[in-house]
Amino acid sequence: MFRWLNGPGNVFRQPLPGSTNYLNAYDRSGNLLRARDSPKGRNSEGEAEEKDEDKEKDVDEGETNDLEVNVETATVKSKKAQRPSPKAMMDGVPLPKETAEDLMPFPMNRQFRSQAVLSEELKNAIYERVVVQGKSVRNVSAALGVEMRRVGAVVRLKAVEKGWETKGKPLATPYSKAVLSMLPQTPYIPNDPQVHESINDLPVHRATTLQLFHPVSESRHFTRRDAGQAFQRDLKPAEDRIPHTELYQMEKWRYEGMQRDERIQRMREQNEKDIQAKKEKEERRREKEKMEVTRVDHGRSVFRFQDVRVDERVGEDGRGRAGVGARYGIPHQDRKKGQIKIPTKVE
Amino acid sequence: MVLKIRLARFGKRNKPFYNIVVAQARSARNSKPLEVLGTYDPVPKPAPFGEGKPFKDIKLDTSRAKYWLGVGAQPSEPAWRLLSMIGLLEPRYNVQKMQQTEMAQRGAAQSEEAVAALEGR
Repeated sequence: MFRWLNGPGNVFRQPLPGSTNYLNAYDRSGNLLRARDSPKGRNSEGEAEEKDEDKEKDVDEGETNDLEVNVETATVKSKKAQRPSPKAMMDGVPLPKETAEDLMPFPMNRQFRSQAVLSEELKNAIYERVVVQGKSVRNVSAALGVEMRRVGAVVRLKAVEKGWETKGKPLATPYSKAVLSMLPQTPYIPNDPQVHESINDLPVHRATTLQLFHPVSESRHFTRRDAGQAFQRDLKPAEDRIPHTELYQMEKWRYEGMQRDERIQRMREQNEKDIQAKKEKEERRREKEKMEVTRVDHGRSVFRFQDVRVDERVGEDGRGRAGVGARYGIPHQDRKKGQIKIPTKVE
Repeated sequence: MVLKIRLARFGKRNKPFYNIVVAQARSARNSKPLEVLGTYDPVPKPAPFGEGKPFKDIKLDTSRAKYWLGVGAQPSEPAWRLLSMIGLLEPRYNVQKMQQTEMAQRGAAQSEEAVAALEGR
Protein backbone atom coordinates (compact mmCIF):
# COMPACT_ATOMS: atom_id res chain seq x y z
CA MET A 1 0.00 0.00 0.00
CA PHE A 2 2.79 2.43 0.89
CA ARG A 3 4.48 1.61 -2.32
CA TRP A 4 1.36 2.76 -4.15
CA LEU A 5 0.92 5.81 -1.97
CA ASN A 6 4.49 6.94 -2.45
CA GLY A 7 4.58 5.90 -6.11
CA PRO A 8 1.79 6.52 -8.61
CA GLY A 9 -0.63 7.48 -5.86
CA ASN A 10 1.58 10.38 -4.92
CA VAL A 11 1.62 11.56 -8.52
CA PHE A 12 -2.12 11.59 -8.76
CA ARG A 13 -2.49 13.88 -5.76
CA GLN A 14 -1.48 16.63 -8.13
CA PRO A 15 -2.42 15.40 -11.57
CA LEU A 16 -0.39 16.61 -14.51
CA PRO A 17 -2.36 19.31 -16.31
CA GLY A 18 -3.14 18.75 -19.97
CA SER A 19 -2.53 15.03 -19.73
CA THR A 20 -4.87 12.07 -19.54
CA ASN A 21 -3.16 10.86 -16.35
CA TYR A 22 -3.92 7.22 -16.98
CA LEU A 23 -2.22 4.67 -14.77
CA ASN A 24 -0.50 3.08 -17.73
CA ALA A 25 1.51 6.22 -18.42
CA TYR A 26 3.47 5.73 -15.17
CA ASP A 27 5.80 3.00 -14.00
CA ARG A 28 5.53 1.32 -10.60
CA SER A 29 7.44 3.97 -8.75
CA GLY A 30 5.36 6.74 -10.25
CA ASN A 31 7.64 8.06 -12.98
CA LEU A 32 6.05 9.30 -16.14
CA LEU A 33 7.21 6.82 -18.74
CA ARG A 34 7.20 9.14 -21.72
CA ALA A 35 9.09 11.82 -19.78
CA ARG A 36 11.75 9.28 -18.88
CA ASP A 37 12.09 7.94 -22.39
CA SER A 38 11.66 11.26 -24.07
CA PRO A 39 15.22 12.23 -25.14
CA LYS A 40 15.92 8.91 -26.78
CA GLY A 41 12.39 8.25 -27.92
CA ARG A 42 11.95 11.68 -29.39
CA ASN A 43 15.04 11.42 -31.53
CA SER A 44 14.15 8.07 -33.01
CA GLU A 45 10.57 9.17 -33.48
CA GLY A 46 11.63 12.31 -35.17
CA GLU A 47 13.77 10.43 -37.64
CA ALA A 48 10.99 8.06 -38.41
CA GLU A 49 8.65 10.95 -38.92
CA GLU A 50 10.96 12.69 -41.26
CA LYS A 51 11.27 9.56 -43.35
CA ASP A 52 7.54 9.13 -43.40
CA GLU A 53 6.98 12.69 -44.41
CA ASP A 54 9.48 12.41 -47.21
CA LYS A 55 7.70 9.39 -48.54
CA GLU A 56 4.37 11.09 -48.31
CA LYS A 57 5.72 14.10 -50.06
CA ASP A 58 6.83 12.02 -53.00
CA VAL A 59 3.56 10.27 -53.34
CA ASP A 60 1.02 12.79 -52.23
CA GLU A 61 2.40 16.12 -53.23
CA GLY A 62 -0.31 16.73 -55.75
CA GLU A 63 -3.01 15.45 -53.53
CA THR A 64 -2.21 17.62 -50.58
CA ASN A 65 -2.01 20.62 -52.83
CA ASP A 66 -5.40 19.85 -54.27
CA LEU A 67 -6.87 19.39 -50.87
CA GLU A 68 -5.56 22.74 -49.96
CA VAL A 69 -7.43 24.32 -52.79
CA ASN A 70 -10.59 22.37 -52.37
CA VAL A 71 -10.96 23.22 -48.78
CA GLU A 72 -9.10 26.51 -48.84
CA THR A 73 -6.78 25.68 -45.98
CA ALA A 74 -3.24 24.66 -45.50
CA THR A 75 -2.08 21.09 -45.83
CA VAL A 76 -3.68 18.45 -43.73
CA LYS A 77 -0.90 16.57 -42.05
CA SER A 78 -1.07 13.20 -40.47
CA LYS A 79 -1.69 12.79 -36.80
CA LYS A 80 1.82 11.54 -36.23
CA ALA A 81 3.24 14.98 -36.79
CA GLN A 82 1.13 16.43 -34.02
CA ARG A 83 3.17 18.54 -31.66
CA PRO A 84 2.88 18.12 -27.90
CA SER A 85 0.36 20.47 -26.40
CA PRO A 86 2.04 23.45 -24.77
CA LYS A 87 0.12 22.76 -21.59
CA ALA A 88 1.88 19.50 -20.84
CA MET A 89 5.20 20.90 -19.74
CA MET A 90 7.47 19.53 -17.07
CA ASP A 91 10.37 21.65 -15.87
CA GLY A 92 10.04 23.86 -18.91
CA VAL A 93 10.64 20.97 -21.30
CA PRO A 94 7.64 20.06 -23.43
CA LEU A 95 6.53 16.51 -22.87
CA PRO A 96 6.21 14.25 -25.88
CA LYS A 97 2.70 13.38 -26.96
CA GLU A 98 0.99 10.46 -25.31
CA THR A 99 1.70 7.22 -27.12
CA ALA A 100 -0.93 4.57 -27.73
CA GLU A 101 0.41 2.75 -24.66
CA ASP A 102 -0.30 5.78 -22.50
CA LEU A 103 -3.88 6.02 -23.68
CA MET A 104 -5.14 2.87 -22.01
CA PRO A 105 -7.46 3.91 -19.19
CA PHE A 106 -7.91 0.34 -17.99
CA PRO A 107 -4.54 -1.38 -17.44
CA MET A 108 -6.05 -4.87 -17.68
CA ASN A 109 -7.86 -4.14 -20.93
CA ARG A 110 -5.08 -3.63 -23.42
CA GLN A 111 -7.48 -3.47 -26.35
CA PHE A 112 -9.19 -0.31 -25.18
CA ARG A 113 -7.49 2.93 -26.18
CA SER A 114 -8.95 6.36 -25.55
CA GLN A 115 -9.84 8.08 -28.79
CA ALA A 116 -9.28 11.81 -29.18
CA VAL A 117 -12.33 14.08 -28.90
CA LEU A 118 -12.84 17.43 -30.59
CA SER A 119 -11.40 20.32 -28.65
CA GLU A 120 -13.58 23.32 -27.91
CA GLU A 121 -11.63 25.51 -30.35
CA LEU A 122 -12.09 22.98 -33.13
CA LYS A 123 -15.83 22.83 -32.47
CA ASN A 124 -16.01 26.61 -32.58
CA ALA A 125 -14.06 26.62 -35.83
CA ILE A 126 -16.46 24.10 -37.35
CA TYR A 127 -19.48 26.16 -36.33
CA GLU A 128 -17.85 29.34 -37.60
CA ARG A 129 -17.08 27.86 -41.00
CA VAL A 130 -20.45 26.24 -41.55
CA VAL A 131 -22.80 28.84 -40.12
CA VAL A 132 -20.95 32.15 -40.37
CA GLN A 133 -18.90 31.62 -43.51
CA GLY A 134 -21.58 29.44 -45.09
CA LYS A 135 -19.26 26.69 -46.30
CA SER A 136 -20.70 23.29 -47.06
CA VAL A 137 -20.49 20.51 -44.50
CA ARG A 138 -18.63 18.43 -47.05
CA ASN A 139 -16.03 21.11 -47.53
CA VAL A 140 -15.48 21.70 -43.83
CA SER A 141 -15.29 17.98 -43.20
CA ALA A 142 -12.52 17.54 -45.76
CA ALA A 143 -10.70 20.63 -44.53
CA LEU A 144 -10.61 19.71 -40.86
CA GLY A 145 -10.52 15.94 -41.12
CA VAL A 146 -13.77 15.44 -39.24
CA GLU A 147 -16.50 13.14 -40.43
CA MET A 148 -19.51 14.83 -42.05
CA ARG A 149 -21.99 13.42 -39.56
CA ARG A 150 -19.85 14.71 -36.73
CA VAL A 151 -19.64 18.13 -38.37
CA GLY A 152 -23.43 18.20 -38.56
CA ALA A 153 -23.76 17.15 -34.93
CA VAL A 154 -21.27 19.79 -33.78
CA VAL A 155 -23.13 22.51 -35.67
CA ARG A 156 -26.47 21.48 -34.21
CA LEU A 157 -25.16 21.25 -30.66
CA LYS A 158 -23.30 24.54 -30.95
CA ALA A 159 -26.53 26.13 -32.20
CA VAL A 160 -28.29 24.82 -29.10
CA GLU A 161 -25.49 26.20 -26.94
CA LYS A 162 -25.72 29.63 -28.55
CA GLY A 163 -29.48 29.54 -28.08
CA TRP A 164 -29.01 28.85 -24.40
CA GLU A 165 -26.49 31.65 -24.12
CA THR A 166 -28.92 34.16 -25.63
CA LYS A 167 -31.64 32.94 -23.30
CA GLY A 168 -29.29 33.28 -20.34
CA LYS A 169 -29.47 29.61 -19.40
CA PRO A 170 -26.48 28.51 -17.32
CA LEU A 171 -23.95 26.29 -19.08
CA ALA A 172 -21.98 23.54 -17.35
CA THR A 173 -18.69 24.98 -18.60
CA PRO A 174 -16.54 23.98 -15.60
CA TYR A 175 -17.78 20.43 -15.93
CA SER A 176 -17.05 20.34 -19.65
CA LYS A 177 -13.60 21.80 -19.06
CA ALA A 178 -12.83 19.26 -16.36
CA VAL A 179 -13.89 16.34 -18.52
CA LEU A 180 -12.08 17.63 -21.60
CA SER A 181 -8.87 18.15 -19.64
CA MET A 182 -8.86 14.44 -18.85
CA LEU A 183 -9.31 13.27 -22.43
CA PRO A 184 -7.00 13.26 -25.41
CA GLN A 185 -8.16 16.01 -27.76
CA THR A 186 -7.67 16.99 -31.35
CA PRO A 187 -6.42 20.56 -31.18
CA TYR A 188 -7.33 23.25 -33.67
CA ILE A 189 -4.34 24.78 -35.40
CA PRO A 190 -5.67 27.21 -38.03
CA ASN A 191 -2.82 26.84 -40.51
CA ASP A 192 -2.17 23.19 -39.84
CA PRO A 193 -5.45 21.30 -39.26
CA GLN A 194 -5.02 17.92 -37.64
CA VAL A 195 -6.85 14.90 -38.96
CA HIS A 196 -9.37 13.90 -36.33
CA GLU A 197 -10.58 10.69 -37.90
CA SER A 198 -10.88 8.83 -41.15
CA ILE A 199 -13.48 10.73 -43.17
CA ASN A 200 -13.79 8.66 -46.28
CA ASP A 201 -14.73 5.19 -45.06
CA LEU A 202 -16.74 3.05 -47.42
CA PRO A 203 -20.01 2.16 -45.73
CA VAL A 204 -20.67 -1.57 -45.80
CA HIS A 205 -23.64 -2.28 -47.99
CA ARG A 206 -25.69 -5.27 -46.97
CA ALA A 207 -25.52 -6.80 -50.42
CA THR A 208 -21.75 -6.87 -50.33
CA THR A 209 -21.46 -8.88 -47.13
CA LEU A 210 -22.19 -12.11 -48.95
CA GLN A 211 -19.33 -14.03 -50.42
CA LEU A 212 -19.86 -14.12 -54.14
CA PHE A 213 -18.29 -16.20 -56.87
CA HIS A 214 -18.92 -14.47 -60.12
CA PRO A 215 -17.23 -16.14 -63.08
CA VAL A 216 -16.19 -13.69 -65.72
CA SER A 217 -14.47 -14.32 -69.00
CA GLU A 218 -10.83 -13.39 -68.99
CA SER A 219 -11.19 -11.06 -71.94
CA ARG A 220 -13.84 -8.98 -70.26
CA HIS A 221 -12.96 -5.58 -68.83
CA PHE A 222 -14.38 -6.05 -65.34
CA THR A 223 -14.46 -2.80 -63.39
CA ARG A 224 -15.62 -1.77 -59.95
CA ARG A 225 -18.89 -0.71 -61.49
CA ASP A 226 -19.42 -4.24 -62.76
CA ALA A 227 -18.43 -5.62 -59.37
CA GLY A 228 -21.10 -3.51 -57.71
CA GLN A 229 -23.67 -4.69 -60.20
CA ALA A 230 -22.66 -8.28 -59.62
CA PHE A 231 -23.67 -7.91 -55.99
CA GLN A 232 -26.89 -6.11 -56.71
CA ARG A 233 -28.26 -4.72 -59.94
CA ASP A 234 -28.40 -1.09 -58.87
CA LEU A 235 -25.44 -1.07 -56.49
CA LYS A 236 -23.08 1.76 -57.28
CA PRO A 237 -19.32 1.23 -57.37
CA ALA A 238 -17.31 1.96 -54.25
CA GLU A 239 -16.10 5.35 -55.50
CA ASP A 240 -19.68 6.60 -55.71
CA ARG A 241 -20.63 5.30 -52.30
CA ILE A 242 -17.84 6.87 -50.24
CA PRO A 243 -18.76 10.06 -48.37
CA HIS A 244 -16.26 12.31 -50.15
CA THR A 245 -16.59 11.45 -53.81
CA GLU A 246 -14.92 14.72 -54.78
CA LEU A 247 -11.61 13.62 -53.24
CA TYR A 248 -11.73 10.52 -55.40
CA GLN A 249 -12.55 12.62 -58.43
CA MET A 250 -9.56 14.82 -57.82
CA GLU A 251 -7.25 11.85 -57.51
CA LYS A 252 -8.67 10.46 -60.71
CA TRP A 253 -7.96 13.68 -62.58
CA ARG A 254 -4.43 13.59 -61.32
CA TYR A 255 -4.05 10.04 -62.52
CA GLU A 256 -5.36 11.05 -65.92
CA GLY A 257 -2.51 13.51 -66.13
CA MET A 258 -4.46 16.70 -65.76
CA GLN A 259 -2.38 19.71 -64.78
CA ARG A 260 -2.66 20.98 -61.24
CA ASP A 261 -4.09 24.38 -62.13
CA GLU A 262 -6.70 22.82 -64.33
CA ARG A 263 -7.72 20.38 -61.60
CA ILE A 264 -8.05 23.20 -59.12
CA GLN A 265 -10.06 25.23 -61.60
CA ARG A 266 -12.44 22.38 -62.29
CA MET A 267 -12.94 21.58 -58.64
CA ARG A 268 -13.67 25.22 -57.93
CA GLU A 269 -16.20 25.35 -60.72
CA GLN A 270 -17.86 22.23 -59.38
CA ASN A 271 -17.99 23.71 -55.89
CA GLU A 272 -19.52 26.88 -57.26
CA LYS A 273 -22.08 24.86 -59.15
CA ASP A 274 -23.01 22.88 -56.05
CA ILE A 275 -23.47 26.02 -54.00
CA GLN A 276 -25.52 27.61 -56.77
CA ALA A 277 -27.72 24.54 -57.11
CA LYS A 278 -28.32 24.50 -53.38
CA LYS A 279 -29.31 28.16 -53.41
CA GLU A 280 -31.65 27.68 -56.33
CA LYS A 281 -33.30 24.74 -54.64
CA GLU A 282 -33.85 26.78 -51.49
CA GLU A 283 -35.20 29.64 -53.60
CA ARG A 284 -37.66 27.35 -55.38
CA ARG A 285 -38.81 25.94 -52.07
CA ARG A 286 -39.46 29.44 -50.79
CA GLU A 287 -41.34 30.42 -53.94
CA LYS A 288 -43.49 27.33 -53.66
CA GLU A 289 -44.25 28.04 -50.03
CA LYS A 290 -45.16 31.62 -50.87
CA MET A 291 -47.56 30.40 -53.55
CA GLU A 292 -49.22 27.81 -51.36
CA VAL A 293 -49.17 29.28 -47.89
CA THR A 294 -51.27 32.23 -46.71
CA ARG A 295 -50.11 33.77 -43.47
CA VAL A 296 -52.65 35.43 -41.20
CA ASP A 297 -51.41 37.33 -38.18
CA HIS A 298 -53.87 36.69 -35.41
CA GLY A 299 -52.93 38.00 -32.01
CA ARG A 300 -50.37 35.83 -30.33
CA SER A 301 -49.58 33.57 -33.24
CA VAL A 302 -49.49 33.43 -37.00
CA PHE A 303 -51.86 31.07 -38.78
CA ARG A 304 -50.33 29.44 -41.82
CA PHE A 305 -53.00 28.29 -44.23
CA GLN A 306 -51.81 25.81 -46.76
CA ASP A 307 -54.09 25.16 -49.69
CA VAL A 308 -54.23 21.43 -50.34
CA ARG A 309 -56.20 18.95 -52.39
CA VAL A 310 -57.80 16.42 -50.10
CA ASP A 311 -58.38 13.86 -52.84
CA GLU A 312 -54.69 13.71 -53.66
CA ARG A 313 -52.45 10.97 -52.32
CA VAL A 314 -55.30 9.08 -50.68
CA GLY A 315 -54.98 6.10 -52.98
CA GLU A 316 -57.61 4.04 -54.78
CA ASP A 317 -59.80 3.37 -51.77
CA GLY A 318 -59.30 6.82 -50.20
CA ARG A 319 -57.63 5.34 -47.16
CA GLY A 320 -53.97 6.04 -47.95
CA ARG A 321 -51.83 7.29 -45.08
CA ALA A 322 -50.26 10.05 -47.13
CA GLY A 323 -53.56 11.92 -47.53
CA VAL A 324 -54.47 15.06 -45.60
CA GLY A 325 -55.88 14.64 -42.11
CA ALA A 326 -56.06 11.93 -39.51
CA ARG A 327 -57.26 8.78 -41.21
CA TYR A 328 -60.46 6.94 -40.39
CA GLY A 329 -60.52 3.24 -39.62
CA ILE A 330 -56.75 2.87 -39.65
CA PRO A 331 -55.33 2.32 -36.17
CA HIS A 332 -52.18 4.09 -35.03
CA GLN A 333 -49.05 1.99 -34.97
CA ASP A 334 -47.20 4.16 -32.50
CA ARG A 335 -47.86 1.96 -29.47
CA LYS A 336 -46.64 -1.14 -31.27
CA LYS A 337 -43.37 -2.82 -30.35
CA GLY A 338 -40.28 -1.77 -32.23
CA GLN A 339 -41.57 1.62 -33.37
CA ILE A 340 -38.70 4.08 -33.58
CA LYS A 341 -39.67 7.53 -32.37
CA ILE A 342 -36.33 9.28 -32.52
CA PRO A 343 -36.78 12.52 -34.44
CA THR A 344 -35.04 12.50 -37.79
CA LYS A 345 -35.13 16.23 -38.35
CA VAL A 346 -33.83 19.21 -36.40
CA GLU A 347 -35.28 22.63 -37.06
CA MET B 1 -80.54 17.28 -42.38
CA VAL B 2 -78.17 20.11 -41.65
CA LEU B 3 -74.61 19.81 -42.83
CA LYS B 4 -71.94 21.26 -40.61
CA ILE B 5 -68.35 22.24 -41.21
CA ARG B 6 -66.73 21.49 -37.90
CA LEU B 7 -63.64 20.21 -36.17
CA ALA B 8 -63.12 16.58 -35.21
CA ARG B 9 -60.58 16.04 -32.47
CA PHE B 10 -57.83 13.56 -33.11
CA GLY B 11 -54.38 13.37 -31.60
CA LYS B 12 -53.44 12.29 -28.11
CA ARG B 13 -54.15 13.49 -24.62
CA ASN B 14 -52.75 17.03 -24.21
CA LYS B 15 -51.83 16.98 -27.89
CA PRO B 16 -54.92 18.02 -29.79
CA PHE B 17 -55.08 17.82 -33.52
CA TYR B 18 -58.20 18.48 -35.54
CA ASN B 19 -59.61 17.41 -38.82
CA ILE B 20 -61.78 20.05 -40.47
CA VAL B 21 -64.71 18.02 -41.72
CA VAL B 22 -68.09 18.26 -43.39
CA ALA B 23 -70.55 16.05 -41.52
CA GLN B 24 -74.21 15.63 -40.68
CA ALA B 25 -75.00 17.91 -37.77
CA ARG B 26 -76.31 15.16 -35.52
CA SER B 27 -73.56 12.62 -36.08
CA ALA B 28 -70.94 11.92 -33.43
CA ARG B 29 -67.88 14.15 -33.33
CA ASN B 30 -65.36 11.62 -34.55
CA SER B 31 -67.62 9.52 -36.74
CA LYS B 32 -66.74 9.19 -40.37
CA PRO B 33 -67.63 12.49 -42.04
CA LEU B 34 -68.92 13.16 -45.51
CA GLU B 35 -65.62 14.70 -46.37
CA VAL B 36 -62.40 15.86 -44.76
CA LEU B 37 -61.55 19.42 -45.77
CA GLY B 38 -58.25 19.73 -43.98
CA THR B 39 -56.49 19.80 -40.65
CA TYR B 40 -55.88 22.25 -37.85
CA ASP B 41 -53.03 21.96 -35.36
CA PRO B 42 -53.90 24.27 -32.46
CA VAL B 43 -50.59 23.90 -30.67
CA PRO B 44 -48.39 26.85 -31.68
CA LYS B 45 -44.96 25.85 -32.96
CA PRO B 46 -42.03 28.15 -32.23
CA ALA B 47 -40.96 30.21 -35.21
CA PRO B 48 -37.84 28.87 -36.92
CA PHE B 49 -34.63 30.49 -35.67
CA GLY B 50 -36.68 32.31 -33.03
CA GLU B 51 -37.77 35.02 -35.47
CA GLY B 52 -41.28 36.39 -35.11
CA LYS B 53 -44.40 34.92 -33.66
CA PRO B 54 -45.05 31.23 -33.17
CA PHE B 55 -47.20 29.69 -35.88
CA LYS B 56 -50.11 27.31 -36.20
CA ASP B 57 -50.42 25.16 -39.27
CA ILE B 58 -53.69 24.73 -41.10
CA LYS B 59 -54.21 22.68 -44.19
CA LEU B 60 -57.42 23.42 -46.05
CA ASP B 61 -58.88 22.45 -49.37
CA THR B 62 -60.32 25.86 -50.20
CA SER B 63 -62.18 24.84 -53.33
CA ARG B 64 -64.03 22.06 -51.53
CA ALA B 65 -64.71 24.38 -48.58
CA LYS B 66 -66.21 26.95 -50.96
CA TYR B 67 -68.38 24.30 -52.55
CA TRP B 68 -69.77 23.09 -49.25
CA LEU B 69 -70.41 26.65 -48.06
CA GLY B 70 -72.16 27.27 -51.37
CA VAL B 71 -74.58 24.38 -50.85
CA GLY B 72 -75.47 25.55 -47.38
CA ALA B 73 -73.13 23.81 -44.95
CA GLN B 74 -73.05 25.68 -41.64
CA PRO B 75 -69.66 26.20 -40.04
CA SER B 76 -69.38 25.79 -36.30
CA GLU B 77 -67.95 28.72 -34.38
CA PRO B 78 -64.28 27.62 -34.43
CA ALA B 79 -64.60 26.59 -38.07
CA TRP B 80 -66.14 29.98 -38.87
CA ARG B 81 -63.20 31.70 -37.23
CA LEU B 82 -60.73 29.74 -39.34
CA LEU B 83 -62.62 30.14 -42.61
CA SER B 84 -63.09 33.85 -42.06
CA MET B 85 -59.36 34.30 -41.68
CA ILE B 86 -58.78 33.57 -45.36
CA GLY B 87 -61.84 35.44 -46.49
CA LEU B 88 -64.21 32.56 -47.22
CA LEU B 89 -66.71 34.09 -44.79
CA GLU B 90 -67.44 37.42 -43.16
CA PRO B 91 -65.87 37.43 -39.70
CA ARG B 92 -68.39 37.10 -36.92
CA TYR B 93 -68.09 39.83 -34.38
CA ASN B 94 -68.55 39.25 -30.71
CA VAL B 95 -70.74 42.14 -29.54
CA GLN B 96 -69.48 42.04 -25.97
CA LYS B 97 -65.86 42.00 -27.08
CA MET B 98 -66.44 44.86 -29.51
CA GLN B 99 -68.06 46.90 -26.77
CA GLN B 100 -65.08 46.26 -24.54
CA THR B 101 -62.58 47.35 -27.18
CA GLU B 102 -64.66 50.45 -27.93
CA MET B 103 -64.74 51.36 -24.27
CA ALA B 104 -61.02 50.89 -24.02
CA GLN B 105 -60.42 53.09 -27.05
CA ARG B 106 -62.73 55.76 -25.75
CA GLY B 107 -60.97 55.71 -22.39
CA ALA B 108 -57.58 56.07 -24.05
CA ALA B 109 -58.81 59.01 -26.14
CA GLN B 110 -60.24 60.74 -23.08
CA SER B 111 -57.04 60.37 -21.12
CA GLU B 112 -55.10 61.76 -24.07
CA GLU B 113 -57.41 64.75 -24.20
CA ALA B 114 -56.97 65.28 -20.49
CA VAL B 115 -53.21 65.17 -20.86
CA ALA B 116 -53.35 67.62 -23.77
CA ALA B 117 -55.57 69.95 -21.74
CA LEU B 118 -53.17 69.83 -18.80
CA GLU B 119 -50.23 70.63 -21.05
CA GLY B 120 -52.21 73.49 -22.63
CA ARG B 121 -52.56 75.09 -19.22
